Amino acid sequence: MMELREFNNQVHPTPDYPSPYGSQHSLRLRTVPPQETSAVQFDWASPPEDAEDSNEPPNLRELPLHMGLKRAVWQVQQMKIPVVSSSWNIKQSQTFRRFCEVAKHVLSYFVLWKRGIQKIGGHFGGGVQSYFLFLRFLVILNFLSSLLIAGFVLIPSIVFRSMNFNSTIPTTVNLTGVEICLQYDPKPDTLMVFITYFLDLISGTGFMEYSYLFYGYYTNFNSMVESNGFSYNIPLAYLLTAAFYFLFCFICMIIRMGGTARVAVVTGGGATGGYSALVFTGWDHGLQEDRTTKLKQSNFRYRLQVDLEEERLKKKSASLTLSQTVSLYALRVFLNMVVLILIGATFYGIAKATQFSQLMKTTGFKGLVLQYLPSMVITASNFVVPLLCDKIALLEKYSPSTTVILALLRAVFLRLVSLGVLLYTLWEQITCEGDISKQNCIPCNYYYDEYKCWETRVGQEMYKLTLFDFLITIATLILVEFPRRSVSVFVCVRSYISILKMYVFNLFFGMFRIVVDHCSCKLTQWVGRQEFLVAPNVLALVYSQTVVWTGALFCPLLPFINTIKFILFYFCKKITLFQNCQPATRNFRSTTSNFFFLLVLLFGWMLATMVLLYSVTKIHPSYGCGPFRFSPTMWEVVPQAAEMLNSTSAEFLFYMGSQKFSIPLFIFSCVLLCYVSALTSVHGKSVALLKSQCKLEQRDKQFLVRQIEELNATVQKEQREPQQPQRETDTATRWNQHDNYAFDRDEDPRPY
Amino acid sequence: MGGTASKLPKDLLSEYQELTFLTKQEILLAHKRFSELQGRENGPYSSRVSMEKVLTLPELKSNPFRKRICHVFSTSDLRDGSLTFEDFLDLLSAFSDSATLEIKSHYAFRIFDFDDDGTLDARDLEKLVNCLTGETDDTRLTVEEMRQLISNILEESDIDKDGTVNLSEFQHVISRSPDFVSSFKIVL
Repeated sequence: MMELREFNNQVHPTPDYPSPYGSQHSLRLRTVPPQETSAVQFDWASPPEDAEDSNEPPNLRELPLHMGLKRAVWQVQQMKIPVVSSSWNIKQSQTFRRFCEVAKHVLSYFVLWKRGIQKIGGHFGGGVQSYFLFLRFLVILNFLSSLLIAGFVLIPSIVFRSMNFNSTIPTTVNLTGVEICLQYDPKPDTLMVFITYFLDLISGTGFMEYSYLFYGYYTNFNSMVESNGFSYNIPLAYLLTAAFYFLFCFICMIIRMGGTARVAVVTGGGATGGYSALVFTGWDHGLQEDRTTKLKQSNFRYRLQVDLEEERLKKKSASLTLSQTVSLYALRVFLNMVVLILIGATFYGIAKATQFSQLMKTTGFKGLVLQYLPSMVITASNFVVPLLCDKIALLEKYSPSTTVILALLRAVFLRLVSLGVLLYTLWEQITCEGDISKQNCIPCNYYYDEYKCWETRVGQEMYKLTLFDFLITIATLILVEFPRRSVSVFVCVRSYISILKMYVFNLFFGMFRIVVDHCSCKLTQWVGRQEFLVAPNVLALVYSQTVVWTGALFCPLLPFINTIKFILFYFCKKITLFQNCQPATRNFRSTTSNFFFLLVLLFGWMLATMVLLYSVTKIHPSYGCGPFRFSPTMWEVVPQAAEMLNSTSAEFLFYMGSQKFSIPLFIFSCVLLCYVSALTSVHGKSVALLKSQCKLEQRDKQFLVRQIEELNATVQKEQREPQQPQRETDTATRWNQHDNYAFDRDEDPRPY
Repeated sequence: MGGTASKLPKDLLSEYQELTFLTKQEILLAHKRFSELQGRENGPYSSRVSMEKVLTLPELKSNPFRKRICHVFSTSDLRDGSLTFEDFLDLLSAFSDSATLEIKSHYAFRIFDFDDDGTLDARDLEKLVNCLTGETDDTRLTVEEMRQLISNILEESDIDKDGTVNLSEFQHVISRSPDFVSSFKIVL
């Protein structure tokens, strides 16, 4: 075996190891001819065909040599710079690189929570860290969006309102027959009890309703300041800001997905490689504590054992009989139906709750509960149904990774579509099921009696959803996760007496924690330190963000509220992570899951965009409130504004919006997509070709080696006695005929 | 104790910036930490710190590959794993944020090559797996499991079927794994 390896390396020397390695015992290096060693050190210097200045200093860092050698190389390189112009080029690139480094360093000071997230990654691994990175991304996104909205909509409104402009009714609008629709009086009572104040705060009614928080407060200030000739079209600004906000979020998501997608596509989704990838890349060198390291090691062992066990079982039961396969598939179909029925029942429940809460009109605490009914039903279903789905998934007997993905998909489906059901129910009521000729919708094109200002109502619903989500998360933290650690103390039978004593004499949480940490009672471990489950937490974030996007048009301050909410989430989740949780036992493939989470966020964004487009183009804005009250749809302000430009720009804009432009653009992007995917498949095929070529070459090599051995054997046979060479040939040929590797049964596993 | 930032001359600092992937702040921090390990001021950049002292760093203390890391980056003739400051910088550079995949995979290969023969054979793989699962008897895999695991690994990664994993095959496996760069990281 040793000879074959030597032979291998003589034919294909790995030129990567420099000479400082050379004084070691390796046989291989002694056989490497000297000029190859020197070629290793100065290989960079003169490949003759490489005349351009690509051998710049940046390549120096990428040499796997130690510092002394790199310095020598550098010095030689410095001496070799011949021409003035090329040295100027090199100097320029050097200064540019230094500038980039300085800029990167300065920018790194502005990275939010850098140290905190690094610490989390060190203690809990990449999976949990990816959740916090996602949270940080959303915080920054929301913050920038709220700056955008504040700058273009909020501040101008404040300015104009403080300058006491009156909103004017444009003369072009015909308002006969719809006078009743203009009545909208949300001004709160001047006398307010504290409880009313509090109720109004959390349900967005009363004094909160007629404020900058909701759509209804903004008016169509379009008036010009005569002296300056300055005009600011608030309705147009409102609409375009909303559109730009969506576009901005989309671009940010796409950019972030681009990086992860590139990696995921190149590495084939991370699912290939299996054992070798796990063993070679599985260790996280950033882990720093002994306890974490031991935990990670036991996770590794657990995972390897489980995977090996699965493989053994799979091999054993490779042949399922026909009846077993059929019954398994029948079981899966049945369970899928059960899941669908469960989800359908949830949707029905949400629809009914929404209808009920919209139509009931009680005040006080009962009214508050009724108002929050849809949120409560949605949250309850988001707790209960995924749990049931998990249990069902266990019965379905998929492989573990498929189970996880299925569970995530079902949870995502549930969350986003439950939001969709809520919106659908609202729409049903506001627009009288889309039929504006119905009794309730006759004068105003929307259900005037109930929804005097329907945009504000929708905004209020989204505001309530956001707030409720936040309260539930905080409540879960305080009421479930912290006590769970201390409750588990009482479950451990073995140390019950000592616990009692501790409880009596020490009332500090810290002591409970010590007991929990060191109690190895099985039950304690089950109830005790819980895992920080990344996937459900990320889905919660995606859901919140979707709610914010949906509500942004109707509640302009919602992104700002969401920024604060997510910042508080960061601190609360961090505290609960360090106090209550242990690192996960399941290895979490952070990169592919990052991509998946961004994809789900994109789905949420698409849902919100559909809502936006529909409400902007189809539903008549309220007559009584808001900046669009006198247009037939919200979209109308844009063509009206475009018409006021000069004719060339107006024509250009109308052309861009027409089909003559969009259809060729669409066709062009399809062609581009086909080209890129064809390129990808070609690359994949060439990789496969090269791999098989490698295999063929090795087979040729083995054939040649066999020939040499046989030749050797015949030569030696002529020189020696009959028995000895016979035995040698036998062993040699027997070894060579094996295609298997190290654990040859005939060979001693420790040969030397 | 000493080793303040002013001890590192500017030209040496810029040279280190050229030759490693570390930023100026990282080099200065490394200098500070290394000086604390040395414990006294002296002719700074060529004196060695023994492996035992290096392994007291919190970043390396519980890493199961700590001894191999020291051996790989050490330029000592005695092969005792002792590091000079420049070796230390090489170590941090290879484990830094901005190091390329090639450098990281190269050094990872050398770290995993326990017998330093240039390829990963079955014995290297066995020692590697033992490092990953824990060295004590009750944390190792059984002989049967180890055998199954190693044959699976070789089947997946040994492209030319010579019974060992060489550098190119190793780098091929690494390139297909998206998390390697972020997990092969040590930051002071």
